[in-house]
Amino acid sequence: MEPMNEGKYKWCRRIILLTLIVLCMRLFDLQILKGDDMKRLSEQNRVRVKKILAPRGMVFDRSSKVVADTRPSFNLYLIREDIRDFNQTVDGLARLLNLDRNDIINRLKEARDYPSSFPVKIESDLSMDQVAKIEANKFYLPGVTIQIEPKRNYPYGIMLAHVLGYVSEISSDELKMKEHKQYVPGDYIGKFGLERQYEEYLRGIDGEQRVEVDATGREVRVLDTVEPIAGNSLHLNIDMELQTVVEKAFDGKKGGAVVTDPRNGAVLALTSRPAFDPNQISSGVNKDYWAKIATDKTHPLQNRVTQGRFPPGSTFKIVLAMKALEKGIINVNTSFSCTGGFAYGGRVFKCWKKGGHGSVAVHRGIVESCDVFFYNVGLKLGVDAIHEEGETMGLTKVTGIDLPGEKAGLVPSTAWKQKTYGEKWYEGETVSVSIGQGAVWLTPMQLVQMASFVANEGVTFKPQLVSRIVSPQGKVLKVFEPALLTNVTPSKQAISNVKDGMRGVVNDPRGTAYASRLPNVAISGKTGTAQSASLGAGRGDHAWFVAFAPSENPVLSMAILVEFGGHGASVSAPIAKIVTDTYFKEQKEIKSAQLNAHR
Amino acid sequence: MHIDKRRLYHLDWYLIGNGFALIAVGMLNLVSATRSIDSGPYNLLIKQLLAMGIGLAAVAVIVSYDYRVIAGYAKYWYVITLILIVVVLILGTIAGGAKRWLTIAGVAFQPSELMKPVMILLLATMLHQRKKDDEPLGLKDILLPLGLILFPCILILKQPDLGTAVVIMLSCFCVLWFVGLKKSTYAIILALTAGALPIFWQYLMKPYQKMRVLSLLNPELDPSGFGYHSIQAKIAVGSGGFLGKGYLNGTQHKLHFIPEHHTDFIFTVFGEEWGFIGSIVLFLLFASFILRCLKISENTSDELGATITFGITSIVFIQFTVNILMAINLAPVVGIPLPFISYGGSSLISSLIGAGLILNINMRRYMF
Repeated sequence: MEPMNEGKYKWCRRIILLTLIVLCMRLFDLQILKGDDMKRLSEQNRVRVKKILAPRGMVFDRSSKVVADTRPSFNLYLIREDIRDFNQTVDGLARLLNLDRNDIINRLKEARDYPSSFPVKIESDLSMDQVAKIEANKFYLPGVTIQIEPKRNYPYGIMLAHVLGYVSEISSDELKMKEHKQYVPGDYIGKFGLERQYEEYLRGIDGEQRVEVDATGREVRVLDTVEPIAGNSLHLNIDMELQTVVEKAFDGKKGGAVVTDPRNGAVLALTSRPAFDPNQISSGVNKDYWAKIATDKTHPLQNRVTQGRFPPGSTFKIVLAMKALEKGIINVNTSFSCTGGFAYGGRVFKCWKKGGHGSVAVHRGIVESCDVFFYNVGLKLGVDAIHEEGETMGLTKVTGIDLPGEKAGLVPSTAWKQKTYGEKWYEGETVSVSIGQGAVWLTPMQLVQMASFVANEGVTFKPQLVSRIVSPQGKVLKVFEPALLTNVTPSKQAISNVKDGMRGVVNDPRGTAYASRLPNVAISGKTGTAQSASLGAGRGDHAWFVAFAPSENPVLSMAILVEFGGHGASVSAPIAKIVTDTYFKEQKEIKSAQLNAHR
Repeated sequence: MHIDKRRLYHLDWYLIGNGFALIAVGMLNLVSATRSIDSGPYNLLIKQLLAMGIGLAAVAVIVSYDYRVIAGYAKYWYVITLILIVVVLILGTIAGGAKRWLTIAGVAFQPSELMKPVMILLLATMLHQRKKDDEPLGLKDILLPLGLILFPCILILKQPDLGTAVVIMLSCFCVLWFVGLKKSTYAIILALTAGALPIFWQYLMKPYQKMRVLSLLNPELDPSGFGYHSIQAKIAVGSGGFLGKGYLNGTQHKLHFIPEHHTDFIFTVFGEEWGFIGSIVLFLLFASFILRCLKISENTSDELGATITFGITSIVFIQFTVNILMAINLAPVVGIPLPFISYGGSSLISSLIGAGLILNINMRRYMF
């Protein structure tokens, strides 16, 4: 023992004590004061909540054919927390998937308010080739994960596109809306058609999985799982067999057609052309497709049936005939002389038939679509009476079909002109309106309601695409009962005269659509050839045909429009013939099948 | 080899018990720490037990000979160890980017660990030969010893193994301080160190080592890079809370959030599972061991014995302190093991050799 070193030992003990105090203080701070924070951090390290996407509800046609379902797809996500070298991962992804680096960064920016463990969707529906590339390079791409998730699938492609609509990723603007609180970036949402209309039913409830992950983000084990609940199914009134026939008839044409059941408003077929392939829009891969569709000058994203307003042409004569007969302005024998033209206000309004029809009463007026007859009727009625009848038939409002964005047409009135232009109505304008030109604009959807109004004698129903909504367990959640749209009783005389006229259009040898008659089923209709107001030279007239069948106890109403198609009689009426023929053949098959089943 | 039976009574059973308590804690903790290691959990435990066996055999051999005889051969131990270190630099096994291991017949050994007690033996012996009466040593007396310290340290830095080099240099400084230097000599050493630091930083430190130091100052600056491990280590210890998550229940190390969690970051495993209470108990075990060694040094009348004991005690203290500070994010990440606890055969054997020397000195302290 050295006296000299005694002091040194003392110093050593002090240093040891001091060290212990420092260590204990730090431990106290970390484990006791910050212990709960640290526990939370280690828990966040360890546990990650994974979303399990609910498969969207299926859509069936009236005979339970699948028209929209889901299929498995590979989606690529980035988890920012797991990224080690930002540039390596982002550049690697951009190169492997042929993406723009800035697109990836924008995607990440969109999710900046979410925790760094939130998986940000970068690309959806990867091809097997892309999946293989990513998997092979996974080691160099920390933070990248591929999930197998349900993806919307439309087996019929462009058929029924405007009815079904499409889904796509929720936009950042939509995310900000209050009603989209439960959505996160990367979620799909119905944007158009039924997908949008019935989003809340179709969406389902996403499940959740809590998984333990290691430091590289690799899943070690599943802690617990809340299974997703699939969306509810829609059962449509659409008849795919009829739809297919209509779609085929429209190949290479522009326009739209709708077929409904006048007895209840059920929509049996609805097409609009040009169309789009909802499969390609719903897939994230094909951004070019979306750009092409959205900027196409022929507006494939417009539903011509519910959103396209066209001059109704001669089909509008039904409105005038109804009102004039109803009001007693004309009777079945009231005749006007047609010499092929009608002079009014210093101008000659022509009849489509150059030589004129001679003396024409209401029946021939409709059957042969004499313009001069209706110029006279129109002037006698005045525009406000025409408007009144339009209102009675429900042509001044939207029909209320279960599709988003429906537009209403226009049946003018003096009040409307005063209000809109601050000008008085000129009688000369009434002349144009009398043959469905000028300020009259209607959608095919509204015109099919007009056909139903006549067919069902004043009682029409709201057009309805979805008949019932069924839960994944098969429980019927909602049944759409027919909802009255108009419920009036027109005079017997008016309705029977108009019906006779419309029957004659197809079945009278002088009728404008005589060529489209069927031997076994009587079709009633009205042709229309409307001058398009478009300024484009040589684009031609819109070909209309509005019809119901059979003429007695009708079960089908239809409105067919071929844009710039030419004559309604030669272009649109034949489509009505095919539709009617198909429908009744189908009914016959169903009946014989039922009979066979009984035996 | 003969052991005087009476000497066994002079073995310090308190120190032995304390040492075994630390080793037992280490083995227990190792089981938990190595659960997630791919080569199998018990593989490493068995290796560690084997190393303990070799270490204990070394202790038995060391206590059989008078420590003065052993210290007399210090320069030979030094030369042998130095040769091994040079061989490592040429033929060593690379692991984790560093050449620290020498593999002989499938057994990897880290000669730099052995240098820790050997350096103390050599330095204590040399300083004693130079010391006359109670005169403090001058610069001339310590020039050669300083050179002999720096040479292996530079070789070790080349491996690179900053931790071991730092431990050797700091413990040697403790020995110099214990023996006593002239005030002017302290001043010169201090000035030389201050002057060497920038050169050391500039030329000898690897970029990753610099980053570790810088990230200590602000780990959140680069939370997924160099600061990541420090933050994760802190989270592991902190999440243990007061009572800990329970033995085998730690998640941070099991899920690989902490690298080297069974070697240099072993305390994060212990802290997470045993909490504040367990950590305090572990600290007290270390404090008791260190204070006991210090007491032995104090009670040893032979100055050589007292110096060797002091030097070895300083090694244990420095390693313990820096290792814990590193785990709780108060010191930069350097490869310094926690004595008796960290996985690593060389480190355990080196610690046991040190303990054997202290036991030896304690046994013979009444001989004068």
